[in-house]
Amino acid sequence: MPTERVPVSVDVTLPRDGVAVFTVEGFLDVDTVPELRRHLSDQVSRGRYHLLLDLAAVSFMDSSGINAILQAREQTRSVGGSVRLISPTPTVRRILELTGVNMAVPSSESVDAALAQVSEVTGRH
Amino acid sequence: MPADELRDAPSTSPVGRLAATVERLRREVQAAQAEADGRALIELAKGILIERLGCGPAQAARQLAELTEQARVPMLELAVDVINQAARDRLSEVTSTFLATATDPGASPDTSSAVRLREAESGVLAADDTQAVADSLLQHALAPLGAAAVAIWAAGADGSLTLAGSAGFSTAEAARWRYVPPGVATVARRALAHRATQWTGSLAEEGLPTIGNGHFPGGGRVAAPAGAGGRIHGVLEIAWPSPLEPQTPQVVRQVEALAELCAHTLETQPALIDGAEARGPLTADVSELMDLVDGLHDPALVLVPHLDGDGQLSDFRIRHVNSHFLDPAGRPRGVVNGALLLEAYPMAAGESELFQRVERVYATGEPFRARRMDLTALVDQVPLAAVADISVSRHGGSVLLIWRIEDETARLASLLQHAQRLGRIGGFEENLLTGEITWNGTLFDLYGRPTSSSPVPLEDLAAHAHPDDAVTIGRFLRTLLHHRRPATAAFRLQRPGGVTRHIRVVAEPVLGVDGRPLVVRGAYQDISAQHWTEVALAATRDQLAHSEQQAHERARLTLQLQHAIMPPTQAPLKAPGIQAAVRYRPAETEQLVGGDWYDAVVLPSGLVLLCVGDVAGHGIEAATSMVVLRNALRGLAVTGAGPGQLLSWLNIVAHHLTGAVTATAVCGLYDPDTRVLRWARAGHLPPVLIRDRDASPLPLLRGILLGAVPEAAFEESEVQLAVDDTLLMYTDGLIERRDRSVEESLKQLLTTARADVPSLDHQLDRLLTYSKSDTDDDTCIVGIRVA
Repeated sequence: MPTERVPVSVDVTLPRDGVAVFTVEGFLDVDTVPELRRHLSDQVSRGRYHLLLDLAAVSFMDSSGINAILQAREQTRSVGGSVRLISPTPTVRRILELTGVNMAVPSSESVDAALAQVSEVTGRH
Repeated sequence: MPADELRDAPSTSPVGRLAATVERLRREVQAAQAEADGRALIELAKGILIERLGCGPAQAARQLAELTEQARVPMLELAVDVINQAARDRLSEVTSTFLATATDPGASPDTSSAVRLREAESGVLAADDTQAVADSLLQHALAPLGAAAVAIWAAGADGSLTLAGSAGFSTAEAARWRYVPPGVATVARRALAHRATQWTGSLAEEGLPTIGNGHFPGGGRVAAPAGAGGRIHGVLEIAWPSPLEPQTPQVVRQVEALAELCAHTLETQPALIDGAEARGPLTADVSELMDLVDGLHDPALVLVPHLDGDGQLSDFRIRHVNSHFLDPAGRPRGVVNGALLLEAYPMAAGESELFQRVERVYATGEPFRARRMDLTALVDQVPLAAVADISVSRHGGSVLLIWRIEDETARLASLLQHAQRLGRIGGFEENLLTGEITWNGTLFDLYGRPTSSSPVPLEDLAAHAHPDDAVTIGRFLRTLLHHRRPATAAFRLQRPGGVTRHIRVVAEPVLGVDGRPLVVRGAYQDISAQHWTEVALAATRDQLAHSEQQAHERARLTLQLQHAIMPPTQAPLKAPGIQAAVRYRPAETEQLVGGDWYDAVVLPSGLVLLCVGDVAGHGIEAATSMVVLRNALRGLAVTGAGPGQLLSWLNIVAHHLTGAVTATAVCGLYDPDTRVLRWARAGHLPPVLIRDRDASPLPLLRGILLGAVPEAAFEESEVQLAVDDTLLMYTDGLIERRDRSVEESLKQLLTTARADVPSLDHQLDRLLTYSKSDTDDDTCIVGIRVA
């Protein structure tokens, strides 16, 4: 768990098997993204391939954040997993649209909605 | 009487002081008039009668009139007689003799000469200074004897002679002879040495220099020692225009009597000396004080008390001013020197209470010091304000007044000039509102430009610097003009003739009340010598920290790579129908230099490829990926494919060939024939179109960033451009901020882009200078303007 004073905090919850929810708070930039990456890789290595990123409390994200999301997407896709974003703030939503990442990584309104989507996807497989 | 009314005003009040001064001046005018028509003598005689008879003025006047009638002589002559009887002095003796001969019917001219003598005496007594004494003597006593000029010399304790007053000589001549040092043989000096009247038939025969010897070369001269009470105070010198025959004993005695009158004046009124140099007989303490003040570096005045007729202190005479003396009103020293304090500085009696301070110091001996005292002076009735630090102290019978005028800007400026010249510092000031630029002489030297040439504005600095310093200068201008903070930069100035100097520029903005910069001022310093020392030091340091240098080398390599591919400024693109300009500003921190790129090139098809892109990450990896993508796009573009297709291919390159980097890019193909731009974007900010002073972004076409997915499609769009349209493509280093959305940053950018600027190059410079970005990131801009 992050104890040092970095301007980001990542909380991980495990609502059910194979799914991890990351509640991120703060800035996502070149300095703080390694923290997020560490959590993401950690869960993937434990066999959780459906990653839900709750970005409701992320006020700023730069290309490092985008790349962390895309990298997680690459990692999970190869093993049949997925990455979803939950309620991104307008600023982050704008970045996602600008970079076109919204076309590759879907977003949901809430954690529940995201979990429902994951069920739908996994149900098909 | 008005004079009485004025006198009724309390003499200590400021108004009272001024009134007393006015009244004294008025009295002098009256005295001069009285002396002209002889009334003074009559008034004097009246005064004697009042005293002797114990009667009032009206009765005295009647008595005099009656006596005149009885004696059957003119009232003036009778008045002289009355005065002679009362005085019983040496003059009386002389005049009695004349009056005795006056009873002789054939000797009437002598009668009038007796009157003249008394008139001269009256004039002398009425006169306020030795200059007036000289005037009076010449007019009343000497002109009738055929003399043309007179000089009254004051003898100094050291044997020097000072011209205390003169009449009949030109002002210039009087000024030349105002002081005769000890040991110089002159006519007057000889009188002093022999303690006897010297009669000279003709100056030419004598061969002695003296005042006016050029004007009256062959004229006669008399020099009579002016002594009283066994002490010689000076010399009375009289000049005749023509050779002088030996004179009658009466004339000789008359001259001696006049010399005695002069002695009286010189002795009793030592302070009453007019003229440019207030020298004269001095008491030792005044003399020492004058030496002292001449050694002071601040303006200093020696004041001596000036008593009125009743022996009351009425004013101070400015006895001496030192060489550093500067009148607050800017008048020449000579005008102030010798004047009365209240005459020279009437406002001293006003609110500043300077006069009261001086008076108090004189009375109590307690020194007075004050800072920031108002020293307003009246010049031709115009009050000129000055603020000064004041020191007043008493020394013997004199008062020393020292002031330091606060406004010493001129002196400081001159000091600064010297310092700047020695330090090779060139100062400048630019008015941002008017565009007016001021340089000092050294700055023209530093630039190697004649002082007659026009100064170089800060905004054009890069044009005079080494091309590699353009980035440094851009950053300097941004800090100064956009962040409105003091800024400094070191760069290589390229002077005409191929000379390169290492220059440091330091500047600061002067902000107005609304926080907008009004003026930028600063200095350039030639640090060439210092620079090479630093280079040598740096070399030593590098050896000690080799590994650190390797990291540094890496960063520099990245930068060099960037520069090699994309010079910070590039020669204008030669394309028909458009102007194109590009800018690249690497991140400030070398390690953060990254993968921004731009491209603007005319394809074989005649279309113009325009592109900016940004590889994620920093350092040498990002830079090499950038090179790959940029060159790949150039190569792909030759196929003639549209921008959407080009980005699809570039996505594959990014995803498969460059080691899974991501990058954003915007790519356009402009057709100069139709002025149509076809464009697409890959996760990048859309271009901005500036048309009719309105700036707006093109729509956010669909297009994911390069390298994110193995295969991607990119939406394409067309925009019809018109003449004078400007199109900008840029990377997010220009707008990225942590504390606001892309929208807000974009809005700011659009506002800046909208400003009316003379050229595309200026517009791009402005965008870099005023960009709101707070992240240290690379920045690229490509701009085209349809011609």
